Amino acid sequence: MTDWQALQQKSFYEATARERANGIVDAASFTELAGPRDRMSSPHLPALGEAIEFDDGVVTGVGRVGKHPVFVISQEGRFIGGAVGEVHGAKMVGIFQLAQQAYAQLAAKGADSLAERLPAVVISFETGGVRLHEANAGLLAHAEVMDQIQNARGKFPVIALIGSKIGCFGGMGFVAAATDLIIMSELGRLGLTGPEVIEQEMGREEFNASDKALVYRTTGGKHKYIMRDCNQLVEDSIGAFRTALASALQQPYAEIARCRRIGSEALVDEQLALAELSCEIQPQDARDVWAYFGNADAAAIPEQTTADFLRTVRRRP
Amino acid sequence: MALQELHYTFRATEPQPFPLGWSHSGVVGSGDMEVMFERCMLDGEIRFKVVTPVRGFERVWEQVLGRFVNETNLADVSVEINDNNATPVVVLMRLRQALKEARKEAEG
Amino acid sequence: MTVEMMIGRGREAIDMIVDPGSFQENRIGESEFSPELGPGAVVGEAKLAGRDIVVIANDAEAINERFPVVYFGVIGMEEAYKMAKTVYTVMRQDAEKAAGEKRPLLLIVDTPGNAPGKIEEIFGMNKATGAYQLALAEARRCGHAVVAMVIGRAISGAFLCHGLQADHILSLSPEFGTMIHVMPLTSISRITKLDIERLEQLAENNPVFAAGPDFFYRLGGVDEMVTELEDMPSAINRHIQEIEAAKAAGVADCTGPMYHGKLGEQRGGRMHRRPVIERMTAEFAAVAEQYL
Repeated sequence: MTDWQALQQKSFYEATARERANGIVDAASFTELAGPRDRMSSPHLPALGEAIEFDDGVVTGVGRVGKHPVFVISQEGRFIGGAVGEVHGAKMVGIFQLAQQAYAQLAAKGADSLAERLPAVVISFETGGVRLHEANAGLLAHAEVMDQIQNARGKFPVIALIGSKIGCFGGMGFVAAATDLIIMSELGRLGLTGPEVIEQEMGREEFNASDKALVYRTTGGKHKYIMRDCNQLVEDSIGAFRTALASALQQPYAEIARCRRIGSEALVDEQLALAELSCEIQPQDARDVWAYFGNADAAAIPEQTTADFLRTVRRRP
Repeated sequence: MALQELHYTFRATEPQPFPLGWSHSGVVGSGDMEVMFERCMLDGEIRFKVVTPVRGFERVWEQVLGRFVNETNLADVSVEINDNNATPVVVLMRLRQALKEARKEAEG
Repeated sequence: MTVEMMIGRGREAIDMIVDPGSFQENRIGESEFSPELGPGAVVGEAKLAGRDIVVIANDAEAINERFPVVYFGVIGMEEAYKMAKTVYTVMRQDAEKAAGEKRPLLLIVDTPGNAPGKIEEIFGMNKATGAYQLALAEARRCGHAVVAMVIGRAISGAFLCHGLQADHILSLSPEFGTMIHVMPLTSISRITKLDIERLEQLAENNPVFAAGPDFFYRLGGVDEMVTELEDMPSAINRHIQEIEAAKAAGVADCTGPMYHGKLGEQRGGRMHRRPVIERMTAEFAAVAEQYL
């Protein structure tokens, strides 16, 4: 299809879901499952007069990273904002089920072979969450995906890649939070409530949704890295994401699992303490939190290159 | 209003086969489209199916698709387009791009 | 027959459901929660038909002074972590108990949303709601019966957070003004540019977008509709027993979100989920050797 080498140089932010799916695994190793030729488009959009896509806005399949079978979900933000409907959601669930099956098969071959070839689920998020045209089915699919993430725990890693135009919001914001490891670029955005809704709720003086810099300070990759809500920050290229993914998969599973931010009582205690800290700091802006964590020149952070930022940043202890 | 399905059939003057068994390209973004070509025995015809939210442009589609057939002479291929308000210029560009990519892949 | 709206009456609902006088707020076995913590979430232990259970509910009258967007049953960061902590506490205390003896969790659902604030986004509200869901999924998978009872509002992400991870989900029937949706039909109408009448007509045959418990019932997102307030305790108790029996039988995915997916198909509401998963499974089987 596309030249894999060329994909490595390509901006992750600009890339289509299919380019990301092909580029984040080893060259020529990606097999798409329920691809366009299966024509599994949404059965609900036609009656509502909304355009359909053969893959329902998500590319799903399997590839390899080294010896690891990697089950890929890659969302397409250009198609209805990457929103999750019945088919899109079922494709996500299907990937988790295949990873479970692969895990069981490899586990049956013995512990050594399993560790060496441990499967992984990788999600390249680009979505605002539930697709309103089929909102109920989309919502129910979110619950299934959360359940599948819990079901993967103790078995194989689930890794989030966030660096595309739409970011990762709504229900998919907490799906991403529930993964083991989050890799972002500084252009990636992660949150629950989108900027417009916050503005609507709190007023324009408190939060101006059209202020792009403010939106990035609140939800962007650098901020999430400082907060330890993302584990790794990489440059904006498919190759950079792939390299980070490949080196993560070289770690033992227990190491990857240590990157989680939620999913145990101890982690909930840690997050609850952070929520209490928010009352103490009462930040007007994310910059106040950066300064609190020891970044003296917080105002300069948005302008820094990713490399400079990584060299100098002070993260939440 | 519901999505509408349009069907067109053309016959090339000097029939050329599609270079691959099938190919897919494009994303159904706003003002954009995806297209899938599948080689099949159509007795020298080329068939198009267009799924689009826009109404009242049946003639325009016919002209644009007809122009693509005239310049490529493709035959024995079924073409499916999912459209989301692509302009005729974009449609023609996407079809040409898709064919170019398919030729490149067939050679590679 | 009593038909009265239960919206905003989470605390009263606890009293209607559990054995009289048995609810002990902020207490889970040996553990105690500070009354100041996350006042929008009401947690504690109680008895249902004589048996120990743990209740997690919303309080629409509480205002979280420290988080201005948390009121009227909204789930904020503190609320969500308090709810998650409650679940982990129960799991920890019951870790040695056999499956049928682990305390059931009852979620009484009346929440309009997750806190949509600036501080929440800066500190990561997505983690808070995610944490509670993972805790519930773990509790469900390790043998606790988890029942959700929708008495008022079960809206979008807040329902995902507090409700949709349950083994079984019950809802008061629509006469009680119960609201289950992502968006009201008026908003769907604005987005799709289709008028409400047309959408209502489409919803008759397709429950995927319209607001209301009936549509969620058809999609498998609600197991059973409870039509009398007085029936809530017995219905919940019956479901706890069903869930425990199903888990004891050891069948995978016989409760919870995956089961609700199957239920949605049985009820004719979600017909496309299974074919998609089956197709992917078949396609992977054809190439699996290259990867495993």
